Amino acid sequence: MDGLTGNEAVVMRNVCKDFKVLNRHEGLKGSIKDLFSRDYKTVSAVKDVTMTVNKGEIIGYLGPNGAGKSTTIKMMTGVLEPTSGEILVNGKVPYKNRTENCENIGVVFGQRSQLWWSLPLIESFKLLRDLYMVPQKDYEEMIDLYRSLVDIEPVLHKPVRQMSLGQRTLSDILAAFLHNPPVVFLDEPTIGLDVSMKSKIRELILGLNKEKNTTVILTTHDMGDVDALCRRIVIIDKGMKIYDNDIDHLKNYFGSYRTLKLKLADDTWEEMLIDEKTTDVMDVIMAKQKESKIKDVKILEISTEEVIKKIYEGSAK
Amino acid sequence: MRKRGLGFYASIYRKILIQDLKSKMSYRADFVISTFGMIMTNLAGFVTFMILFHNFPTISGWDYDHMLFLYGFSLVALTPVQCFFDNNWNLRFQVQSGDFIKYCFRPVNVFFYFMSEVFDVKGLGQLAFGIGTIVYAWIKIGIPVTPLIIAKLIVFLLTASLFMIALMNFAAATCFWIKGSGYVMVIMFRFKDFAKYPSSIFQGIFSVIFTFIIPIAFIAYYPSLVILTPDNVPLLSWISPLFGILFFYLSYRFWMLGVRKYDFTGS
Ligand SMILES: Nc1ncnc2c1ncn2[C@@H]1O[C@H](COP(=O)(O)OP(=O)(O)OP(=O)(O)O)[C@@H](O)[C@H]1O
Ligand SMILES: [Mg+2]
Repeated sequence: MDGLTGNEAVVMRNVCKDFKVLNRHEGLKGSIKDLFSRDYKTVSAVKDVTMTVNKGEIIGYLGPNGAGKSTTIKMMTGVLEPTSGEILVNGKVPYKNRTENCENIGVVFGQRSQLWWSLPLIESFKLLRDLYMVPQKDYEEMIDLYRSLVDIEPVLHKPVRQMSLGQRTLSDILAAFLHNPPVVFLDEPTIGLDVSMKSKIRELILGLNKEKNTTVILTTHDMGDVDALCRRIVIIDKGMKIYDNDIDHLKNYFGSYRTLKLKLADDTWEEMLIDEKTTDVMDVIMAKQKESKIKDVKILEISTEEVIKKIYEGSAK
Repeated sequence: MRKRGLGFYASIYRKILIQDLKSKMSYRADFVISTFGMIMTNLAGFVTFMILFHNFPTISGWDYDHMLFLYGFSLVALTPVQCFFDNNWNLRFQVQSGDFIKYCFRPVNVFFYFMSEVFDVKGLGQLAFGIGTIVYAWIKIGIPVTPLIIAKLIVFLLTASLFMIALMNFAAATCFWIKGSGYVMVIMFRFKDFAKYPSSIFQGIFSVIFTFIIPIAFIAYYPSLVILTPDNVPLLSWISPLFGILFFYLSYRFWMLGVRKYDFTGS
């Protein structure tokens, strides 16, 4: 590929991925039928996506359900071959040499543990150390770094099968960084976690990114993750890239939007998004006052959550 | 990239195995029950064999001791598939749920990594039972004990194992293409029961099928003839090691092709 500076961790050019979906049949007879069936339909999961992720960046790869995020990550990790287009991860084509690519990446799929189910975490770590041929010194340094970032003692000697979802996710993230890969992919790592575990995990990711300059590609539906971790976001919808820039840029773009919060007579807060360019905030408050007594008013800058929602809704039209 | 050779894989397998056994031992009740179950299963198989034999003193010209040898031979030959390749039984569930993807994120061979996850201890009981049976039949028949014959025995036991492993690889890997691969596996696994009998009981078309299409005749019959009838060994017996290696290799390629073609599930 030309036009590269050498500072890229991941490069994608015009990447497409189509799935051929067979209309499958049940049972033994159905299976035999499937073998010869030509009853396919094509699903385009990723359409012509071009993007670059630089070394050391944490980017949020966002999009509504079914947008094609996980599919993109599977291509970047080398388990799926793109239908067309080019991908380079750490300067190499991931699909061409899966094993080599795997040495230089870490992957976490939320709610899908990759650790040995019956082994205590520390034993899994040791096996991973050997699998990735990590020198003992580097391994110990990494464990020390983990200790300084998060309390790993409660999980270290527990078999994975006895862990809670949160502990398991934490363990999976630690395992993904263990061989100090230049790039780590996190697909919905905070799904199903409580607020305190979420913030622990965010701090951990941030700390590791800072210490090791690891590039992180993160997909999530939780804008708290985005606010805490990502400066830049890429949004895809229906397989197409619809946004790629800094979050601040996005907020400026929606700069005229305000979140208006009103405390009504029954002490409930009502929330609405107002575009100051088209609507006057005072008008809205006065109109509302006619219906109910208003106890308190707050006007806030638009939240990331609402910006993203606007974009998803906008592209749905 | 650093090289990962045979030594690397052997050492990784050993380490995973040790950890796995350790954790299995820690579930003591589980361990005791499965050991008990293993002994019962083998006894039941043996009793069935005896009853059958009581009714037919010779099968296809084979007398009791020779049949016993064949029986022991097939038990030992089936041990590796049971011990080292048992995870094939879980393949279709993992493929359907999408959990299979986790085996593709490590810098090692996917087939190896997948199989290394499960070591089935039950196979060891079968091994002990099988060796006992072979030794007993060996003495009764009066086969001489020479290093050459022992070497032959080992080579042809390995050959027989390769066929069984390959058969199960083929059967399991069908799940990458079809939904009903469970049936295929069960059918293949049942076929192995025929391995205990001299393949000369199969006539005509069945003989062809069980020799060349679904080669269960190679799981015990052809390889064991090398020991049992040293003066009259069919050509198929002699070339069975080559066949075994080839068949195993093909099954491995088929399995890996499945991984490559498989495009995982959504999300
Ligand atoms: N193996 C597959 N076979 C067929 N279709 C697939 C496959 N994997 C994904 N798809 C389809 O491709 C599209 C994108 O799926 P993908 O899992 O990449 O979405 P996503 O952005 O990760 O969504 P979510 O936020 O729900 O995880 C969906 O329409 C999905 O149904
Ligand atoms: Mg997804």
